Amino acid sequence: MFPAAIEEYVRPRSVADALNAAARYEDGEAIFLAGGQSVMQAMKSRMMRPRCVIDLQDVADLKGIDHSNGGLSIGAMTRYVDVVEDETIDGAFAALRDAASRVGDRQVRNRGTIGGSLCWNYMAACTPAVVLALDGQLNLMAANGTTRTLGADDFLLGPLETARGDDEILLSVSWPAPAPHSGSAYKKWGQVTDALPVIGICVLVTLDGKGRCEHARIALAGLADGTQRAAAGEAALIGSEGDPASVDAAMSKIAEAADTHSDMSADAEYRKNLIRTLGREVGATAFERARA
Amino acid sequence: MITINVTVNGTAYEETVSERLVLVDFLRDQLALTGTHIGCTFEGVCGACTIHLDGAAVKSCLMLAVQADGHEITTIEGLGGKKLTPLQQAFTEHHGLQCGFCTPGILMNMDEFLHKNPNPTDAEIRHGLVGNLCRCTGYVHIVRAVRAAAETMRQTG
Amino acid sequence: MATNPMDNGGDWLGAPLARKEDLRLIKGTGKYLGDIVLPKMLHAVFVRSEYAHARIKGIDTNEAQAMPGVVAIYTGADIKDTMKSMSQPVLLPNLPAKFPTYWPLAIDKVKFHGEPVALVVARDKYVAVDAAECVYVDYEELPPVLDPEKALEANSPIVHEADGTNEIFAMTFTGGETEDEQKKNDIEVEAIFQNADVVVKERFRVHRTGITPMEPRGVLCDWDETDGLTAYITTQRPHIDRLALTDILDIPAEKVRVIAPRDQGGGFGVKAPFYRENVIIAHAARELGRPVRWIESRYESLMNVGQERDQINDLEIAASKDGQLLALRNRGIADNGIGCTGVYWGFVMPFLGAIEMPNAYTWPKADIKLRVATTNKASLTPSRAFGHFPTRFALERAIDMVAHRLGMEPSDLRRKNMVSTLPYTSVTNEYYDSGDFIKVWDNLMAQIDLSAFRREQTTAREQGRYLGIGFGCGVELSGVASELMVPMENQPGYGAATVRLDPRGKVRVYGGDAPGGQGHETTTAQAVASIFGISPNDVTVTTGDTGTTPFGSGTIGARAGSYFVSAVAKACEELKDKITRILAHDLQIEASVHHFEFKAGEIIYLGDTNKRKSFRDAVERIVMWPINLPEGEVGGLDTTAFFEADKPMICFNADCCIVEVDIESGEFDIKRWVTSEDVGKIINPLIVDGQMHGAIVQGLSNAMFEQFIYDDQGQQLTADFEHYKMATAADVPDIEVTYAPTPCPYTPLGTRGIGEGRPSSIPGAVTNAVCDALAPFGVEITELPLRPDRVWKKIQESRQ
Repeated sequence: MFPAAIEEYVRPRSVADALNAAARYEDGEAIFLAGGQSVMQAMKSRMMRPRCVIDLQDVADLKGIDHSNGGLSIGAMTRYVDVVEDETIDGAFAALRDAASRVGDRQVRNRGTIGGSLCWNYMAACTPAVVLALDGQLNLMAANGTTRTLGADDFLLGPLETARGDDEILLSVSWPAPAPHSGSAYKKWGQVTDALPVIGICVLVTLDGKGRCEHARIALAGLADGTQRAAAGEAALIGSEGDPASVDAAMSKIAEAADTHSDMSADAEYRKNLIRTLGREVGATAFERARA
Repeated sequence: MITINVTVNGTAYEETVSERLVLVDFLRDQLALTGTHIGCTFEGVCGACTIHLDGAAVKSCLMLAVQADGHEITTIEGLGGKKLTPLQQAFTEHHGLQCGFCTPGILMNMDEFLHKNPNPTDAEIRHGLVGNLCRCTGYVHIVRAVRAAAETMRQTG
Repeated sequence: MATNPMDNGGDWLGAPLARKEDLRLIKGTGKYLGDIVLPKMLHAVFVRSEYAHARIKGIDTNEAQAMPGVVAIYTGADIKDTMKSMSQPVLLPNLPAKFPTYWPLAIDKVKFHGEPVALVVARDKYVAVDAAECVYVDYEELPPVLDPEKALEANSPIVHEADGTNEIFAMTFTGGETEDEQKKNDIEVEAIFQNADVVVKERFRVHRTGITPMEPRGVLCDWDETDGLTAYITTQRPHIDRLALTDILDIPAEKVRVIAPRDQGGGFGVKAPFYRENVIIAHAARELGRPVRWIESRYESLMNVGQERDQINDLEIAASKDGQLLALRNRGIADNGIGCTGVYWGFVMPFLGAIEMPNAYTWPKADIKLRVATTNKASLTPSRAFGHFPTRFALERAIDMVAHRLGMEPSDLRRKNMVSTLPYTSVTNEYYDSGDFIKVWDNLMAQIDLSAFRREQTTAREQGRYLGIGFGCGVELSGVASELMVPMENQPGYGAATVRLDPRGKVRVYGGDAPGGQGHETTTAQAVASIFGISPNDVTVTTGDTGTTPFGSGTIGARAGSYFVSAVAKACEELKDKITRILAHDLQIEASVHHFEFKAGEIIYLGDTNKRKSFRDAVERIVMWPINLPEGEVGGLDTTAFFEADKPMICFNADCCIVEVDIESGEFDIKRWVTSEDVGKIINPLIVDGQMHGAIVQGLSNAMFEQFIYDDQGQQLTADFEHYKMATAADVPDIEVTYAPTPCPYTPLGTRGIGEGRPSSIPGAVTNAVCDALAPFGVEITELPLRPDRVWKKIQESRQ
């Protein structure tokens, strides 16, 4: 209900200052606070008891959406609402807006950040699944100023686990210009509207000149092992023109292969059915967007 | 302890707070602005504590008070001041509240919502309300009140 | 939409006035319990059990005690000898049950996950939580009792060892008072079943859920050597709380005052019991000589209260082939939890649920029995639709199943068997005083075109779309007469109100029942304004302070619109009579109250309308200048009246909903919800509409989303709003409310109390609609919650 005692609160203005502040503490004792919509829950329930909170709200370099050169770069401190309201995030990137517009609720979207969600990497979260399907590149900086870029496959390790070191900051997630005729979509199902996904599915397709799928990436949210690629379905979509039968077949393959679990929200079998029903809709939308 | 400067409902405050103090407790206990309510333990789902931070509707239970340093806050007490806003007026005319516990949060959220979306459909209003739980009204009169407020605000500019 | 009070011309009954309560609540200046701060106030936090069932081997408070800012820590052992147990007569129903003896804090054993074990009092609430983490309890785990059926088996571990059984309560509700009469009845019922054309027999399960108010509970106690205890409690029944505190803490009755804050964030039954937290906070305040406040966290709330429903009903219906219902047989089992909750003890809800099972249908014979099992879970606490949410679900579903077997329209079967003449005494001996069920039903059917719907349904099915229609109805208590309240809760049912007229022409009403959002200030003001011909703006209502209000059993069971407002009306009529006696004397005319009209702030002699006096002047004359009075009169205009109905009163409603089910996902969309209501004479239609909307959506949210879940060790997994899912605005439909009222002949204004039982017909109606949509698959759902995954599973099963 109330956080445990915090010894130090700092609000750096630069990435370097933020990293320096973190370097003064042992691993895990200092945390970066982005939008705080999950971290505050963890602190108030005392699942997390940081000695130092490093609030990133004033680090200008971490904010903003950049469309230069036809690509997309989203600063880690960019809030969901900014993604929702940027209507130029479409086509290959449209799934980002599908997800951002359905995260939590208005208040959470006004405050929560893309980078925060990626670094938290909750098992039932929308942003990691979308960034995984869209093959986002995660740009990180460490205390000594070195930077590295990881693909989403390498960054998202498992529930509440990423490749980010405690002394590293996620700067942004970025993409080069997408291939022409690419489209993506995301949808989730939860027990109530916009709740955490019991299952979420994101599909990215790239079509060739004849409207046939030549590249696909699909990711699932809500599995016990966290966000996962759905390789079986990706292969099955190659060559598809997005007709219901072929999308259905691909989604059935994903459902069959997925290691779904049972919990109080739904059982394993229903999760598989959700993959089929949501996947059908999301697949169709992704193809539609790719053709647009 | 740390000193923060925050403007709340137009008044500038310089206050000393503990680093771990949650913003909603700062508003309620330190500034005695008890119109902002608390309905969750840690989860931040009910929305009764919704305020405006630099004009954006946010949950004050999911922020530390220190995070508000340098920012402007509006709480329900500052929404209309002495007068009622069209939204507040619509809530009483359409019986959009019963126990009133969730109401401040709903008003703060819907106030921002209507400024961004001046002509919403009922479905959009309902979707906009997802972050505010209400136990009494079944939401029916709330939706009606928000719709009516939107009409009034469009007519009066 | 509200209309301006002054436009109304004096007929305030039935006017859709904006509420008097609203202004402060929309400006953020309401005064809820958590907003009250007293000088020198301390903050209390509970240490609660981590286990469902365990022996307490020791509690180490040393580390916590030593923390700066910690003032006191109490454990069960500390307090046991300083007070009486919580099981005092004022809190015991007059029903044959095995009432456990318990104290505010667990002693020796913890019996559910979340039970209070210790109390930490500190100068700061953050520090209190820090200290509570450092209270170390040494537990020895015991096997938890979690399944109510197994709990009733001979070899089950016992929750309350002193009782020697987990069966806290059992009763037969039909056939007569004696065992012989009941046995004879059972045999006759069995004979009907043997010979019936159609028998439907099913097990119906309703999960653990209830109505969680948005404001959790709280207690703030202040102790003063002279005045004694002042306890601010979030409560629906301050006067009962006062007696309980007096008896348990052995404080002279005149030294206990309970104040329910003017603004309370919903109650719905959850704030009706007398809770153990009240006692220990009062004890701490008395010990420490400083105010102590406890504000319940949502976690504590979801661990401890708002848990209801949770019944298994093995229900059988016998019917003839022409659709006559012949007999009803039910074996109910309720999962009581530990039952340590004053006034209700868990089982009082299923007790009333069994009584209310027969609903609005004529049953020539019935055999209804209930067994209630203690388990290692939180006690059942009352929730709107008190006890009969599960029994109504079972019955309304079973009626549709009978209709399906007979090939009849479920709505026709209902109307054919509906009680058509009132008064009527049900097969469980519940008295239905007045009203017209058929009129209400026909009004519902007039809102929908059933045959057009059936055509649309057929066409839709051909296109692979599955539409369904479902019905339900509910006879609900309109207040609870003493005849039922004394046995059920050991309390009176009468309504009580003090009405005090002010020399400036204002009226103040005092009521002992404490509201939580129902709009009592407004509806009461409308009733008073209507009687005195003044503006509701001139009427102020004070509730909930035992220091100023007459005794009332609480805001429970839809008492306000029936018993409380009737007491107000009686008091007003008494004062009106006195005013006109003295006015006639002053005017030197022979006239009684019937010869005067109270209108627009004036009292007018109908025999000569030039003879009139303003209400204000008439009141001032009697209160301030009590000379030259008629013989035998004294001055002053202040009276307390009590209202009791000779027989219990009811209200009635019927629901219809239309759904579309997606058979691929099991998701369903409620396309329409329409109701028909008899709430008697309506005081404020806006408020009544709001009560209906809220109750119906509560019913839907309980039926479709909300569920308290315990794991196989009795750990409660749903103690936050991420896991206990309440419906959001985007999850529920708009509601169409229509009325087919019959004024109640037994209340002065013709009003009926409404709202309390209203969610009960919802789970049956919505599930019936889903099953109707899925009729091609033969799906019959007998278990809640009604969730897409369950619906989908049923469709899969039927396809195999």
